[in-house]
Amino acid sequence: MANARALDKRRKSIRNIKKITRTMELIATARFKKAMDRASAATDYTQRITAVVSDLAQAGLEVSHPLLEARETNDTCTVLALSANRGLCGGYNGNVIRAALGRREEMQKDFNAVRTEVVGKRGNSGFRFRGIQVDESFVDDQGVSWIEDDPEFVTIDKIADRYLREFAAGELDRLDVTYTKFISSSRQEAIVETLLPLGELEGADATVDEGAANQDVSLYEFLPDAKSILDEVVPTSFKVKLFKCFLDAAVSEHISRMVAMKNATENANDMIKDLSRTYNRARQSQITGEIMEVIGGVEALEG
Amino acid sequence: MSLQIVVVTPEKTTLDQQVDSVTLPMFDGERGIHLGHAPLIGRLGPGELRSVNGSQVNRYYVDGGFVQVSNDVVSVLTGRSIPVAEIDLSAARQELEAAEREPAANSELMELKHKAIAQAKAQIRMAENNG
Repeated sequence: MANARALDKRRKSIRNIKKITRTMELIATARFKKAMDRASAATDYTQRITAVVSDLAQAGLEVSHPLLEARETNDTCTVLALSANRGLCGGYNGNVIRAALGRREEMQKDFNAVRTEVVGKRGNSGFRFRGIQVDESFVDDQGVSWIEDDPEFVTIDKIADRYLREFAAGELDRLDVTYTKFISSSRQEAIVETLLPLGELEGADATVDEGAANQDVSLYEFLPDAKSILDEVVPTSFKVKLFKCFLDAAVSEHISRMVAMKNATENANDMIKDLSRTYNRARQSQITGEIMEVIGGVEALEG
Repeated sequence: MSLQIVVVTPEKTTLDQQVDSVTLPMFDGERGIHLGHAPLIGRLGPGELRSVNGSQVNRYYVDGGFVQVSNDVVSVLTGRSIPVAEIDLSAARQELEAAEREPAANSELMELKHKAIAQAKAQIRMAENNG
């Protein structure tokens, strides 16, 4: 029978771990709610920009822009993976890394050069572990990632501007973003999305108002003109889309951590129960053993 | 009936209220919007957005973007919008300095540089006029 004192010690340490996982679960829940609020506040902008695009399309403007069209050249492709800075969130980081690796290999067949860019400490160490060189890891001089899990638009704006610049200069033909999409609170999936070229704009397929298009008069007055507004709208919707990826990734990270920590706490509870049982049994058998010894001693004296 | 002004950034809706009139910083100058304005979609430049409600005037800095006016709702889509009192003057000065040091090797970089300079200058101008 196991040593009762050793069992007690183990039980104590599990209790301590449980305290930590329980606290982490609570923190993750709070941060998840915050991230969720941010993500839902961001949808307003997307809806309004979609409305602008469909108004432009209704005015008979052909929605075309260099950012929307696929390139004929297959020179360079960038695979951007959004991972977390912290671990202890179940399969969250692993799934993103796996999805990014898969896409990277696919792209290497079609493109001459594939750049790998990884956001987040965990993703970076994951790629380093597999011996893959990361071209851009979004860290400052001290090696600390400057993209936190509550990204501001200004930060993402800078990254987006760089991609737009590279794309315009012909240094980039395709941008794939790997992130964890938040589908529902019980389902998040690591997916790969092609952001450049942008493909279709949401709202662009609005039915053209024939009358307006023919007479060249639309409901709206465009300042300066529809085409130049579109020239602004397209890069902006790319930026917003990229921003949305970051927001989704943050929401998914917190919810994954919440679930992982909840499971850990429950496991700790089960283990404590199990250990308590074994401990009690061990203690009882120790006591029984001691009594037997005492009785044995008494009997020996009498005899 | 009154005019509704809605200012949204990619992060959140920063302003949503009923006002008497709005002055927008368009790409080429200011434009006032009153009740019953014709539908309009336009580009904004960096500058000051004023909303007038009675004798109360609220001033905000916006970073450029778009505006859509229809059915007496003015929707402003912008990257950043801050009340004038909250503009960080020293940060704006630093931004200006940084923008002026940016390279302008080709026309796209030049455009970005001009944009950054215009944004920083507009913030400095507004913050100084306010104080």
